[in-house]
Amino acid sequence: MRTTLCAAVVSLGLLLAPGAKPLSAHHAFSSEFDAKRPVKFEGTVTKMAWINPHAWIYMDVMKADGTTEEWMVEAGTPNTLLRRGFTKASLMPGTKIRVDGYQSKDGALRVNGRDLTLPDGRTLFLGSGEPGAPPETPAKK
Amino acid sequence: MRSRFGRVMILLGAAVVISVFWLTVLPTAGQQAPPARQSAPFPPYKAPRLNGHPDLNGLWQAFVTANIDLQDHEAQSGPHPEVLGAYGGWPAGQSIVEGGEIPYKPEALAKKKQNLQNRMKVDVSNDKTWHDLGDPEFKCYMPGLPRATYMPFPFQIVQGTSPYILMAYEFATATRTIRMDWNGEAPTDTWMGWSRGRWEGETLVVDVTGQREESWFDRAGDYHSDALHVVERFTPASPYHMMYEATIEDPKVFTRPWKISFPLYRRMERNVQALEYKCVPWTEELLYGKFKKPS
Amino acid sequence: MFIAAAVIAVIPSALTSAQTGASGSSKPPETAQAQAPKAPAKAPAAKAATGKAWTPIKTPWGDPDLQGVWNDATSTPMQRPNGSTTDVLDDAESATQFEEKLAYDLSRDRRDGGPEVDVNRAYNEHWMDARRLKITSDRRTSLIVDPADGRMPPTVPLTPERQKTRAERAAAADRFNAGMPNVSTELSLPVRCIIRTDSPPYLPTIYNNNFQIFQSPGYVVIAPEMIHSARIIPMDGRPHLGKTLLQWLGDTRGHWEGTTLVLETSNFRTDDGVAYQGANPATYKITERFTRVAADSINYEFTITDPATWTKPWTAVIPWTKVDPGEQMYEYMCHEDNFDIVHLLTGARTREKNGEGKR
Repeated sequence: MRTTLCAAVVSLGLLLAPGAKPLSAHHAFSSEFDAKRPVKFEGTVTKMAWINPHAWIYMDVMKADGTTEEWMVEAGTPNTLLRRGFTKASLMPGTKIRVDGYQSKDGALRVNGRDLTLPDGRTLFLGSGEPGAPPETPAKK
Repeated sequence: MRSRFGRVMILLGAAVVISVFWLTVLPTAGQQAPPARQSAPFPPYKAPRLNGHPDLNGLWQAFVTANIDLQDHEAQSGPHPEVLGAYGGWPAGQSIVEGGEIPYKPEALAKKKQNLQNRMKVDVSNDKTWHDLGDPEFKCYMPGLPRATYMPFPFQIVQGTSPYILMAYEFATATRTIRMDWNGEAPTDTWMGWSRGRWEGETLVVDVTGQREESWFDRAGDYHSDALHVVERFTPASPYHMMYEATIEDPKVFTRPWKISFPLYRRMERNVQALEYKCVPWTEELLYGKFKKPS
Repeated sequence: MFIAAAVIAVIPSALTSAQTGASGSSKPPETAQAQAPKAPAKAPAAKAATGKAWTPIKTPWGDPDLQGVWNDATSTPMQRPNGSTTDVLDDAESATQFEEKLAYDLSRDRRDGGPEVDVNRAYNEHWMDARRLKITSDRRTSLIVDPADGRMPPTVPLTPERQKTRAERAAAADRFNAGMPNVSTELSLPVRCIIRTDSPPYLPTIYNNNFQIFQSPGYVVIAPEMIHSARIIPMDGRPHLGKTLLQWLGDTRGHWEGTTLVLETSNFRTDDGVAYQGANPATYKITERFTRVAADSINYEFTITDPATWTKPWTAVIPWTKVDPGEQMYEYMCHEDNFDIVHLLTGARTREKNGEGKR
C-alpha cells in the first residue's frame, strides 16, 4: 500500500501543483527563460525593487573585456521575505552577489534567478532578516 | 409723515423688522441659531460605539471633484470630445486645499506641469522607465492615499475587534489595512502605503508612510516623492457624514505641509454595496497593444 | 491560460480513464480505518487536533469570531494519488513517508532532472511558503472528501461550443509555453493580473497563501493576499445582485449555521477562467463553509456543482491556520509592475523577427 502510494505520488506530483488550481502556478518560467542558456556570473547590485508580482535585482556585471553590462535578475514575491523579517534595507546597492540562472529567450540581459548567493557561498535571503530589526508587534495597550 | 396711520405703520414695520432680526439672531429655547459664518462647526456629534471606539463602519463616498484637480478647476471637455462628446466632460470644482494652493517648491512645480502634459501618455517598453509617463489612474494603477478617499467611487470601512481596520475601495478593488497602535515601520514601499492608526477621542488618526513615489494626487499632475508622509483624520459628524482631513508633508516637493478636507457621505440606498470596478482589461490595448503580433 | 489550459485539457481525459479503471476494479474503503472523513458535505465536528473540544469565541455583536490572518498552504494534493484507496494515513510512519515524498517532488531547491525541469523550479524554497510542504494534520491523502474516492467526479461531455473554447485556450496555452504569445488578452487571468488566488474556491499555491478575515456587525469580509481585493459579504439576508450584474469574483451572500459561516456565490462573469476549471457560469454553483475549530484553525470546506461540467457535486476540505500576529499579510499589487507581460510579448516579437516560432 505504501509503495503504491509513493509511486502514485510521483505520477501526480509534478503534473499538478498539489492542491493548487492550475491557474495559481502562474509562471511557466520556461516560457520566458531558456533552458539552453544557463548563465553564471558575479556582479554588483545597483538596486533591488521589492515589488510584486516579482522582485527584481538590478546588477552591474563586468565582462571579460572590462566593460560593464547591466543585468536584471527576476526573483520571487518579496512578501515571503517580509514575513521572515527582511526589508528593503536587506540588500543594499554595492553588495556583490552571484547569480546562477537561465537567460531570457530573446537574448535580453535578463535572468531567472535560480540560485542567488553571496560571494562566500551563503544563500541570499535564507533564514530570517536582520536581528535587531524592529519587530512588527502591536504596542501593548 | 403726515398721517397718524402712516406713523403707526412705520413703527409696526420697524417692530416687525426688529423682531425678525432678533428672532433669527438670538437663540431661543428649543431653537438653534444658524451658523453666523460658513466655517462654523456642525453641532458636536458622538458616534455610536464599537468596542469602546467610534463606529466608522459603512459604505462612504466623497462628492468633491478633487480627483480631477485638488485645486480650483473649470468644467472641461475632457479628452477626445470629437469621439466622446459630452460623455467625456469633467465637471468644475473648488479647491479642497486649505488656503487654495498647493505650496510647491518652485523647481518642483515644473515636474507637475510636465506630469499634466504627459498624463495620457504611456510607454512600458522599458522596465526602468515604465512609470515615467502617464497618470497612474489612467493606467488603472493604484491611487495611494489620500487620493483613494476622493476618487468618485465608494469605499467600505470594516471595523471589528481585531487590531486592524480595513478600507476597501471600489476603484480597482484597492484595499489598505490600518494597523492599530502599531510599532513597526513599513518594510518596503507599497502603492497604498503603510497605515498605522490610533484613536483620539472621536477621531481616527491614520499615519501613512512608505508609499510608492509613482502615485499621483489627481489628474492634474500633482505628485510627491518617496518622502511623502500623510496624516489622516476621520471624524464622524452625524449619522450620515464624516469629516475627512489629510495633512500632506513632503520636504522634497513642497515648501511646507499642507492640508485638504471635505466631508464623506454615508451611502444610504437600500441594500447598497460596493461593486466591482476592475479596469485592468480596459488598459491592456493602451499599454500592451503595440507589442502584439502584427496581423 | 498558459499551462492551465494544457493541464485542463489533459486532466479530464486522465481522470476519465482513471475513473473507468477504478470503477472497473473498485475496492471498498479499508474498513479498518476508523477515521474516514464523512462523504456528505458537512464539516467535521469542531475538534482541535489534540481532540479537545474548543469553545468558540464570539464578537461583541454575537457572531462567531473568525478574525485574523489565515494561511491555507499544504502539500496534500487535491485528488488522491492514482491507485490509492487510502483516504487517511492512520499511522505516523506512512504519513511521514507521504509528506516526505510530496516535499521532495515539490522542492524548489533540487537542481536535478536537467535544465528543462530546472528552469521551472525557480525560485529556491526560501522564496516559497514553507507550509506548502506539509500535509494536513488530519493526514488525508486528498483535499477532496466527496466523492469518497478522493477524486473529482467524471466530467460531462462538453458542448461543441465549449469544446471550441477549450481548444482555443489550449492553443493559446501552447503559444504561452513556447514563449510566443500573440497578444496580452490571450494570456491567462493570473498573468494579466486580473484574478489570482482571490477567486473562490480558495486553493493553496506556492506562496502568499494568506487571507485576512475582518468582521463588523452584519458583515464578514475576506481579503486575499493575491491579488488585493475584499470580498465584502453581507450577512443580513439581502438578495443577490440582479442576475444581469455579473462580477469577476461573483456576488456572495452569507449566513450562519451554528458556528459555521456559509457562503453562496453567484453572478459570475462569463469570461473564460472566471468559473473554476472552465465550468459553465450559468450552471456553476459554489458553497463554502468556514468553521473555526480551534484558536488557530479554521476548517474551510467548499462544494462545487455544475451538471454541465461534472456528473455530480464534489467537496474538498482545506484547513486554515492562524498566523498573525507573528506573521502578517502584505500588499500584493500586480498590474502596476507587471513587467513580465511586456517581456513575454516583446520577446516573442524579437524571436519572430529572428525567424523563430511556427508559422
